[in-house]
Amino acid sequence: MKPLRIALTKGRLESDAVRLFEKIGCDCSALNHKGRKLILPVAGGKLEAVLAKAADVITYVEHGVCDLGIVGKDTIMEHGGNFYEVLDLGFGRCRFALAGPKGRDFFGGYSARTVASKYPNVAADYFSGKAMDVRIIRIEGSVELAPLLGLADAIVDIVETGTTLRENGLEVIEDICGVSARLIVNAASMKLRKDEIENLAGRMERAVRPAEGERK
Amino acid sequence: MKKNNRITPEGTKDYLFEECIVRRRIEKQLSGVFRSHCFHEVVTPGLEFYDVFDPEFSGIPQEIMFKMTDRRGRLMVMRPDNTLPIARLTATRLQNLPKPIRLYYTQPIYRNNPGLAGRSDESVQMGIELLGADGLRSDLETLTIAVEALSQCIPGFRLELGHAGFFRTLAERLPVSDEAREDIRSAIESKNYAALQALLGRLPEGPEVRALRELPRLFGGEEVFEKASPFCTGGLKKTLDYLHGIYRALAEFGMGARMIVDLGLVQRNDYYTGIVFSAYVEECGDAVLLGGRYNHLLEHFGFPMPAVGFGVDVDAVSRALLHRSGSRSEERTDVLVHGEDGYEVKALEYASRLIADGIRCETSVFPTSGEAVAYARASGISRVDLVGETVRTIRTV
Repeated sequence: MKPLRIALTKGRLESDAVRLFEKIGCDCSALNHKGRKLILPVAGGKLEAVLAKAADVITYVEHGVCDLGIVGKDTIMEHGGNFYEVLDLGFGRCRFALAGPKGRDFFGGYSARTVASKYPNVAADYFSGKAMDVRIIRIEGSVELAPLLGLADAIVDIVETGTTLRENGLEVIEDICGVSARLIVNAASMKLRKDEIENLAGRMERAVRPAEGERK
Repeated sequence: MKKNNRITPEGTKDYLFEECIVRRRIEKQLSGVFRSHCFHEVVTPGLEFYDVFDPEFSGIPQEIMFKMTDRRGRLMVMRPDNTLPIARLTATRLQNLPKPIRLYYTQPIYRNNPGLAGRSDESVQMGIELLGADGLRSDLETLTIAVEALSQCIPGFRLELGHAGFFRTLAERLPVSDEAREDIRSAIESKNYAALQALLGRLPEGPEVRALRELPRLFGGEEVFEKASPFCTGGLKKTLDYLHGIYRALAEFGMGARMIVDLGLVQRNDYYTGIVFSAYVEECGDAVLLGGRYNHLLEHFGFPMPAVGFGVDVDAVSRALLHRSGSRSEERTDVLVHGEDGYEVKALEYASRLIADGIRCETSVFPTSGEAVAYARASGISRVDLVGETVRTIRTV
């Protein structure tokens, strides 16, 4: 039987994911000393880990070339897709928020607003939920710049501590929703390799929520 | 302006050689099975009115349909689904036929998928619809034909069985808006336990809420029926027993360990009313077959009639098979026949004789035998027959 293949998001979520694997007793030495290899054995080869950018994790899982993936809810909300989202892993916690220059009334008046975001789909969904027509501009880097330079009235972005906002004279206007890392599963893999996947997901669930795991 | 005359649109492709061979073989096998069970072929237009696929009852989101208008400005779409046109056709033109009506089709559907994700916007589907029949016998007939058809072209698949009645019955009893019901459905569909928990947490605890919470976990082998039984009260008990009966019948039919039950199978195509099923193979990340019972769909076309059917994604099966076989073309040329000057007709007659003997034979279009031999070498044809006064054979390898 070939090993289950799991795609991990590089960067922010990577070390938490590795810690989770260690917590459920998987040998992660290859992940900790990965060098330039892109596909790495975990737990003595019972699992195969792939390190990828967040949006690519979704792509690989959706197409079934990876059976599972660990990716932030922010990426899931922005990219959508067809897969099972089975577990909230609890780490990588932050939130989506609408933020703008301190003290300015974003919702007041009737003129159409311009909003900058790295997450144009999330921003569009949020404003369409409010039945507001808003012009959305996609920005790739530091979104905070857009209102400072006068390109946008506000931004929709991930907020962790709020320090960057404060230091640039911005404040949260409204929280949109919380996000955290999720375990996602390809639909066909879930059907074809149910026992292995449920076993792994169950161990992860007990590791991130020990109390709940014991109650079952 | 930049011209796009050397590329195909995203989501489409040219099918070459062994891809066509495999696809035609699948089409032949499937249509053979369908016809042997007395299903009759129909072809519906590639262009239809948008209203046939109204998202209100089809569950097909409007953004995935390719749209245009006819000369009178009416909205038209490239066929995004095969079951709806067949429902339209049956409800309007086949009303007077004795029931049941058994139809099958082989035709592409078109879907405007999100870009750059590697999905096909054009894919050939083959399937059957058994219209004007309800109950166990027609469900079993459809399922066993699905098993027979897939077993012929792609053995080793897994069949998944569910029933639209579980979610529908439970959700109807909830005191919530349609949007909230859709949120719950989508959380169950994506097995998003956390979101489902949060959505149901806002509702007063009751037997329905408890059952809905368990729905995505009621998934696995035959043990699911026992696990589900405490949650199935009233009419649902009957639904569960019905599904269990079908499971047992298919297990006897040779599906045994290759069956999965998922009571949380709640597809977006919410025209399904009874059994729902799908098939999966290792090489493919999506289902290769989808089907189910849709007893209320024909009402929308003015002629209520129960029906059940399924569709096979021929392109997905073909990709999986090519993946298995390593995609080598089997149709190689055995002999190249070259006629010397003045012997062109004789060469064609000679080639016809070889072909009649079952030898795969190409005729040379080159003016000289030297060019014919060079071409044979380049194309991997191992034998060249030079036809003149006599026939001379040259081996190229």
